[in-house]
Amino acid sequence: MNIQEYISSGIVESYVLGLADAAEKAEFERLCAEHAEVRAARDQFENSLEQDAFTEAIEPPAFLKDKIFASLHINTESSLPVAPLPSSDAKVVGMHPDGSRSALRWMRYLVAASVILLVGSTILNFYFFNRYKEYNDRYTQLVASQQQLAANNTTLQAKLQGFETDLAIIRNPDMAIVKLPGSNVPTSPAPTSLATVYWNLSNKDVYLMVNRMPEPASGKQFQLWALVDGKPVSAGVFDTQNATVLVRMKNIPNAQGFAITLEKRGGSEAPTMEQMYVLGTVKT
Amino acid sequence: MGTTPTYSEPELIKMLKERDNHSFTYLYNNYSGALYTIILQIIPDQDLASDVLQEVFINIWRRIDSYDPTKGRLFTWMLNVARNASIDFLRSKSYQNSKKNQELPETLPLSVSGQSTHTNVDGIGFKKVLLKLKVESRTLIDLAYYKGYTHEEIAQIEKIPLGTVKTRIRTALIQLREHLK
Repeated sequence: MNIQEYISSGIVESYVLGLADAAEKAEFERLCAEHAEVRAARDQFENSLEQDAFTEAIEPPAFLKDKIFASLHINTESSLPVAPLPSSDAKVVGMHPDGSRSALRWMRYLVAASVILLVGSTILNFYFFNRYKEYNDRYTQLVASQQQLAANNTTLQAKLQGFETDLAIIRNPDMAIVKLPGSNVPTSPAPTSLATVYWNLSNKDVYLMVNRMPEPASGKQFQLWALVDGKPVSAGVFDTQNATVLVRMKNIPNAQGFAITLEKRGGSEAPTMEQMYVLGTVKT
Repeated sequence: MGTTPTYSEPELIKMLKERDNHSFTYLYNNYSGALYTIILQIIPDQDLASDVLQEVFINIWRRIDSYDPTKGRLFTWMLNVARNASIDFLRSKSYQNSKKNQELPETLPLSVSGQSTHTNVDGIGFKKVLLKLKVESRTLIDLAYYKGYTHEEIAQIEKIPLGTVKTRIRTALIQLREHLK
């Protein structure tokens, strides 16, 4: 190809004015890169075209400048030199209008604030959960001790009621008091023993108070006898352990004295005389 | 802006690609007249031409990264942005409809006049040079350059062979270059 002929074929003008088709453009750009003459011809035409465009150019309306700059969010009044952005960032950040840039900054603040709030909330949650657990444990303990106290109270109430019943019996003016000391029995296995019989003379009920009695061997039990006209009549067996103050015995219509013997568990028909511990007579 | 320095084209391009606002102010101050005149040659109505000029500057600002200095000068690139935007506007539905509604006669090639808001650009720059061409060449350049038709479309419109269209346009362009010198 003759380069000079190519240059003067009109392709330069056709290319520069945007009238060349795709194949012509590709060829021209390739030859431009290869041949300085083609480039020079292009530059020359471009320069003359540019100079021509500036001669007698018509100025656009004055308001248009502000309108265009406003639409691009460029401040035409600013005389401060604007530092060029790093070119790697320029494509991304530079296109954003100032409004969206500050919105982005606000978004960052919002995200930071959200993270701080989340962390704070998590810490508070943890703190309050621990407090909740602590108070829940304390509450459970309080409920348990309250139940224990209530149970104790019930026991004490029952005991008190027992004492009051016993006291009412003792206070009864019809009550005859018969002391049964071990010293009254020369053969008593425990001469220091003492028991007291409270005998209601009007309704003949018999109550026994154990003042001091030894612990019976296993399989043995103490038995109270009423002495009725010289004959022993059983008034029932009793335990010295876990007894209330007064143990109610059998009703005895008539008696001159009372004695306690140690018998086999459950009692005997007749008293074992050599195992008599205490004895007392009714004073009328 | 009295203290605005003068930038060389490579400096200006570098600053534009770095999104330097001052470079864009400089660009507008220096090139808006030339580009406005180019648009007026295609769209004589000043209001419409102003709208297109706004679009053109926005396009330049947004698409500056697509400009390749190895393929030509910055002004040539902007000239073609302006020309393409003007032709796109001429072909837009809204413009075609408004033309029909106003029942204006088809704009005759190279004889724009009459309307008060219209600017007669026949005596200015490139178009003035065009007037020196023979009528048959002028018509083809008008169709190709100012109306944006392809050579194939012009062959159909003018009912002449495609080869002839190409040859005549090339000849007209060579004559244009001689007149521009």
